[in-house]
Amino acid sequence: MTISSTAMRRVMRELATLKKNPPEGIRIQTNEEDMMDVAGIIEGPEGTPYAGGYFKVKFKFTDEFPSAPPKCWFATKIFHPNVSSSGEICVNTLKKDWKSTYGIGHILVTVKCLLIYPNPESALDEEAGKLLLENYSSYCDRARLITSVHATPRTRPAEFDTASSEDAASTSTAPSSKPAATTAAATTTTSSLPSLPLATTGFTLPIGSQKSVPGGKMGEKMGPKERHLSPSPLSTADANVGGKPAPGVTVAVSPPALLEGTKAVKRAATGGTTTNAEKRKKALKRL
Amino acid sequence: MSATTNIAAKMDIDEAAIDEGLYSRQLYVLGHEAMKKMAASNVLIVGMQGLGVEIAKNVVLAGVKSVTIYDPNPVTVQDLSSQFFLRQDDIGKSRAEATLPRLAELNAYVPVRNLGGKTGQEISVDLIAGFQVVVLCGVSYNKQLEINDWTHQNGIHFIAAETRGLFGSVFNDFGPKFTCVDPTGEQPLSGMIVSVEKGSDALVTCLDETRHGLEDGDFVTFTEVQGMLELNGCEPRKIAVKGPYTFTIGDTSDFGDYKTGGIFTQVKMPRIIEFKSLTESLKSPELFVTDFGKFDRPTTLHAGFQALSDYNTLNKRLPRPRNAEDAAAVVALAKKYNPDIDEGVITELSYQANGDLSPINAVIGGFVAQEVLKACSAKFHPMMQHLYFDSLESLPDTLPTEQDCQAIGSRYDRQIAVFGQGFQRKLANHRQFLVGSGAIGCEMLKNWSMMGLASGPRGIIHVTDLDTIEKSNLNRQFLFRAKDLGKFKAEVAAITVSDMNSDLKGKIFARQDPVGPTTEDVYDESFFGSIDGVTNALDNIKARLYMDQRCVFYKKPLLESGTLGTKGNTQVVIPDLTESYASSQDPPEKETPSCTIKNFPNAINHTIEWSRTQFDNLFVKPAQAVNAYLSEPNYLQNTMKYSGQHKEQLEQIISFLVTSKPLTFEECIIWARSQFEKDYNNDIRQLLFSLPKDAVTSTGQPFWSGPKRAPDPLTFNSNDPLHLQYMIAAANLHAFNYGLKGETDPAIFRKVADAVIVPEFTPKSGIKVQVSDNDPVPQDNTGPDDLDELIAKLPPPSSLAGYRLIPVEFEKDNDTNHHIDFITAASNLRATNYGITIADRHSTKQIAGKIIPAIATTTSLVTGLVCLELYKVIDGKGNLESYKNGFVNLALPFFGFSEPIAAPKNKYNETFWTLWDRFEFKNDPTLKDIVDWFRENHRLEVSMVSQGVSMLWSPFVGKKKSEERLPMKFSKLVEHVSKKPIPPHVKHLTVEVMVSDEEGEDVEVPFIVVRI
Repeated sequence: MTISSTAMRRVMRELATLKKNPPEGIRIQTNEEDMMDVAGIIEGPEGTPYAGGYFKVKFKFTDEFPSAPPKCWFATKIFHPNVSSSGEICVNTLKKDWKSTYGIGHILVTVKCLLIYPNPESALDEEAGKLLLENYSSYCDRARLITSVHATPRTRPAEFDTASSEDAASTSTAPSSKPAATTAAATTTTSSLPSLPLATTGFTLPIGSQKSVPGGKMGEKMGPKERHLSPSPLSTADANVGGKPAPGVTVAVSPPALLEGTKAVKRAATGGTTTNAEKRKKALKRL
Repeated sequence: MSATTNIAAKMDIDEAAIDEGLYSRQLYVLGHEAMKKMAASNVLIVGMQGLGVEIAKNVVLAGVKSVTIYDPNPVTVQDLSSQFFLRQDDIGKSRAEATLPRLAELNAYVPVRNLGGKTGQEISVDLIAGFQVVVLCGVSYNKQLEINDWTHQNGIHFIAAETRGLFGSVFNDFGPKFTCVDPTGEQPLSGMIVSVEKGSDALVTCLDETRHGLEDGDFVTFTEVQGMLELNGCEPRKIAVKGPYTFTIGDTSDFGDYKTGGIFTQVKMPRIIEFKSLTESLKSPELFVTDFGKFDRPTTLHAGFQALSDYNTLNKRLPRPRNAEDAAAVVALAKKYNPDIDEGVITELSYQANGDLSPINAVIGGFVAQEVLKACSAKFHPMMQHLYFDSLESLPDTLPTEQDCQAIGSRYDRQIAVFGQGFQRKLANHRQFLVGSGAIGCEMLKNWSMMGLASGPRGIIHVTDLDTIEKSNLNRQFLFRAKDLGKFKAEVAAITVSDMNSDLKGKIFARQDPVGPTTEDVYDESFFGSIDGVTNALDNIKARLYMDQRCVFYKKPLLESGTLGTKGNTQVVIPDLTESYASSQDPPEKETPSCTIKNFPNAINHTIEWSRTQFDNLFVKPAQAVNAYLSEPNYLQNTMKYSGQHKEQLEQIISFLVTSKPLTFEECIIWARSQFEKDYNNDIRQLLFSLPKDAVTSTGQPFWSGPKRAPDPLTFNSNDPLHLQYMIAAANLHAFNYGLKGETDPAIFRKVADAVIVPEFTPKSGIKVQVSDNDPVPQDNTGPDDLDELIAKLPPPSSLAGYRLIPVEFEKDNDTNHHIDFITAASNLRATNYGITIADRHSTKQIAGKIIPAIATTTSLVTGLVCLELYKVIDGKGNLESYKNGFVNLALPFFGFSEPIAAPKNKYNETFWTLWDRFEFKNDPTLKDIVDWFRENHRLEVSMVSQGVSMLWSPFVGKKKSEERLPMKFSKLVEHVSKKPIPPHVKHLTVEVMVSDEEGEDVEVPFIVVRI
C-alpha cells in the first residue's frame, strides 16, 4: 500500500482525536501493527431497535484516500434497509458525496445517523425497506431480534469504558427507565448512563455496569473546540426526501399476500410456536 | 484523376472491416464512424525529415487508406538529429526511399508509398491530385502558396508545418466549407427532467439538482416524456441555459400538458467551418494561442517564419547558428511584415533556424497528425488557422556561444545548433530512470535516443516495465511489431531504440521489476544515488504516487505525464522547489451508490457495473472458495469467524462442489438457464413483490419515479438472440470452471434450454407480521445447527485430494473467451428489465474493462512536452518560472501551460519547511533519544510516532508499553510493533511524528529519517 504520507498523517491525527474525544456512542478500535486497520463500534442509538447492540463498522483505505472514500461495511449483522446482507452500506457520503476533508469520524457519525433515520427509499435490503414502510413495529421487532442475537455482547465493549466528549461534558444524569419488554437482551441491570440527546422514544436500554463509567472522567471538561458535528443534511443515496423517522408511515400498496418466504419464517410457520420459542432460547443461551 | 503520376487513384484497396483488436484503444477516442471515413482517405506527406516522419508515423498508426511520402533529397548525417527512421548507412539515399520500409511495417492495414521524384525536385500541383489531405513540411512559403491555391479550390485539405529549433508553426486550410460533425469529442450529455413549461420559451428543469452541463446553442431531444408527448423523439431543439439545472427549449404552447418523467439527450449538430486560403490568411491571420503567458508571440512569429523563408530564398541557406549578422538580416525582413515584432524572439528564431529537435517535432508532429485525422474524419474541431509554438525557456541559462553551436559533422549537429556542444555533453552524460515502457515510454525512448541522452561515458538509462506486448499495444506503442507479441516491453524497446541510435548500445538497462514496496531491494538507496532523475511513463495512479514518494525521499526531479484520449497533461516536480505529484490530485471518479446498482439502475453503466460484479460472483469467487475449502486447512472455521455471510458462502461451496456440479456441458446449459431465470425473472419479481409498481413513499409520492425505474421480469425465449447470447456465454464460462469442453452451436442451446423445466417461482414474504403481542417474534435463521447441517453435506477435502475448480481470470481483450460476451449479455438483459437502452459489445467492453481511450497523436505530443522540460531539468534550472506544466486537448484543440506550484510552506516555532525537508537521525537511536531531541532542540513534545502503517507510540499505548518502548533501539521498536523483521536491505526508516508546541497546539513537522 502506498498511502501518501499526508494521508497517513491525517489518519494518525484523526485516530488520536477519536481516541481522546470520541463522538457520542461511537468508539474506534485500532491496531498498532497497522494503523489503516481501523474499526468503529457504534452503540445502537436509544429509541431505535438497535439499542443495546454494538455494531462494528470496518474500514479499508485505498491508495487514493483521501481523494477517494475508504471502503466501509458492517462487520456485525444488522437488519436495516440501507445495509445489505454482506454488510455493505448505501449512503452517499461513501460514494458520490464524498469530500476529501471527510474522515473516519464523519463516516461513523453518518452511519450512526442512518441507524436512527433509515431511508427505505434507497433500500439495499428491500425486504427491510418494505417492512419499515408497511409495518414499522414488525420492522422494529425483527431489527431488535437481529440486534439481540448478533450485536449484543454479554458485556459492553471495553472501548466504551472511556467517556465520549459529550458524555463527559454532560453533568446531568438521566433516570434509568424500564427495559423494553420485547427486547430479548434486556436482562442486565440498569445503569445510570446519561440519556442520549438523540433518543426519540421512551425507552432506554441499560448497558454495561456502573463502574464502567468512571466518575472522575464524568466531570472532566473538554475544550470548547471539541465538537462533533453531525453531517447534515443526512442523505442516503437516491433520497428524494429528507431522512425522516418512519414510524406510522402510510403505504398505499395493496396488502401483500403473506406468503411464507424466508427459511426462518417458513420454519416458524411450519414448526409452530414451540419450535420457535425454543430456537430463541437457544439463541439467547449462546450469548 | 487522369494524371499518370496520380498513384493515389490506383489505391483501390478493399475497405476492410476495422480490426478492433488492433485499434481497440483508439476506437474509444475516434469511434467507428470516424475511423471508417479515415479508411477512405489517402494522405500525402511532403518532407521526410524529423517533423515529416513524426506526422507520418502517427497517421500510419492511426490507420488511413494510404500514406504517400515525398522527399527525393539525400539523407545527410544531420538528418539523424531527429529522423528516427534513418540510420547512419542510409546517408546518401533518398529520404523517402530510406524511410519507407520502416514506416510501412508500423501498420499492416496502411499501405505506404513513395511518390518518387529526383534530387532537388520540389513538390508540384500535378503530383498532388487524388489525395484527400496534403501535408507540407518545411516547404517555402512561395511553394505553400502555389500548392494551397490549388487545394483550396479543389476541396483538398491542406496543412503546412515547420519546426525550427525550439519553434514550430502549423497552418490549416480544410477548404472554404468544411463540415465538422463533432467539435468536442465529448459524450453527448443526457439527464432526467422533472418539468417542462408550456409556453413560448419553455423552461425545462432537471431532476434532483443534477447539473445538465449544456451550453447555449446546444441542441437536445427527448425520450420517455409523459404528457407532453410531442417532445419524444422531436427534431433537435436549440436550447438557452437559464441556470445549472434549467434551460429553455423554445415554443411548447401547442403541446400537451407535461405530466412526469423524461430524459433529455444532447444532439451533436454538424458545424460548417470556413477556412481562408493561405494567401488571405497570411494577410489577416486567425492565430491560435498555445500559451496565454506569451499572448503576443504568435504575431511576432507569424512575421518571423515568413522572414525566415524569405531569408532562405534570398541566400539559398538558413541563417547560421547564433550568428548576429544573419539574425539582424532576419529581423529586418520580419519588420517588413510587422514593425511591432519582438526582436529578441526573432533573433532567437534566426539563431536556431538550423536546429531540428526531436521533442519539438514530437509536439508539432503529434498535433499535425491529429489535424490530418480531423481533415479525414470530420471528427473534432480543426485548429483555426495558424499555430505558433515555442519553448524558448528550454534554452540553457548560460546561452551557448556561436562557436559552441557550430556543426561538427555529428548526428547531433541540429541539436548542437540550438544548445551548443557543452550542453550536448551534459545530455550525453545524464542518467535517467524511465518507469514504464508503454505508449509514453516508447515515445520517450525514441526522443531520448534522438537527443543522444545518456550516450556519453557516464550516461545510462534504466527502463522498467513488467508487461509483455499485446496486440492492442501495436496501434500506438510504435517500437513494437507483431513479431514481438508476448515479449517484455522494456527489453524490446531498449533494443529498438539502440538500433535507432547505435550510440545508445549498452547504455539502456531494461528490467521487469515493477516499482513498489516489494522491490525496494532492487531500487534502493544506491540505485537512486546512481541516477539524476526519474521520468514516469505509467498508466496508474498507484505507481505514480509511489514513484512520487520515492523521488521526494531521494530528492530526485520527476517528470510526470499522462493521456486520456485526446487529452494530455505534464507535470514537473523539482526538489526543494515545486510541490510534488501527490500534493494536488484530481478527485477520482465518483462511484455509484450500491443500492442503485443492486435495485435501482437507471443507466447502462449501472447495469454494466452490476454484470461485471455478477461475472465475479458466478465465475471467479465460487471457484476460488471451493479451492480454498479444498486446499486450506480450517478454511470453514476461519470463514465462520470473520464473515457475516458464512451461510451464503457455505451454500455456494456446496452448490458448486456437490449439488450443482456439472458432469457434462449440457448440465452447464441447464445451469445457465436457471441462472437466467433467477437473475432476470425471479429476483425482479421478488423486488416487485417487496416494492410493487404502485407503492408510494412516506411522502405519498409514487415509489417508482424519478431515477427509480420500475423493472419488468423477462420470460426466457430461446429465439431471442440476446437470451441466447447470455446462455452461450454463461454456460461456456461455467464449463470453464470445471474444465469441461465448451460449445457454441445455438441449436444445441435451444434444444437443451427449451427442455429445462423451470420451477414455479413464488415471491418470498420473509415477513411475519406480528398480529398480537402473544405471537412469537420472527426467528433469525443462522443458528449453528443449520450450519452444521450444511457442513455435513460437504465431502471432506481429503476425499477430493488434488481436485480443483478453475476460476476465470477476467481478460477483456480476448474476443473468444466469452468474458465480455457474458458481461454484455448480462448487462443488456438487466437493462431490458429496467427499460434502459442497451449497449453494444464495444461500449460495454470499455466500461466493464475500465479501458482508457488512447491515441498515438496525444502520446507523441505529451512526450515531446516532457522532453522540453527534461532539457530544463538537465540544465539544473532553479526558478519556478522556467518550468511549465502542460494541459492539452487535441480535440478542441486546446493548449494550456502553467508554472508549477511552489512547494507549500509549513511552520513549526519560527522555522518554515516544505515537503522536501526532513529530520535525520543516525545510528539507530532509541525512541527516547528522538523524543528528547525534539524537546531539547525545538521545545516540541512528541505525542505520536508511526513508521509505515505501524503505530509505534501514542498517548493511548498505555504506561507500561510506553515505558517498555522508550528505551528501545528504533529498529527493534519497529520490529516489535510490526511483528515483522526489517529486511536486510533496509538501511533507513521513514517516520512520521505528531508533536505539539509549548502552548500545547498541534504543529506539523517534517518527516524523520532514521538510519539504522
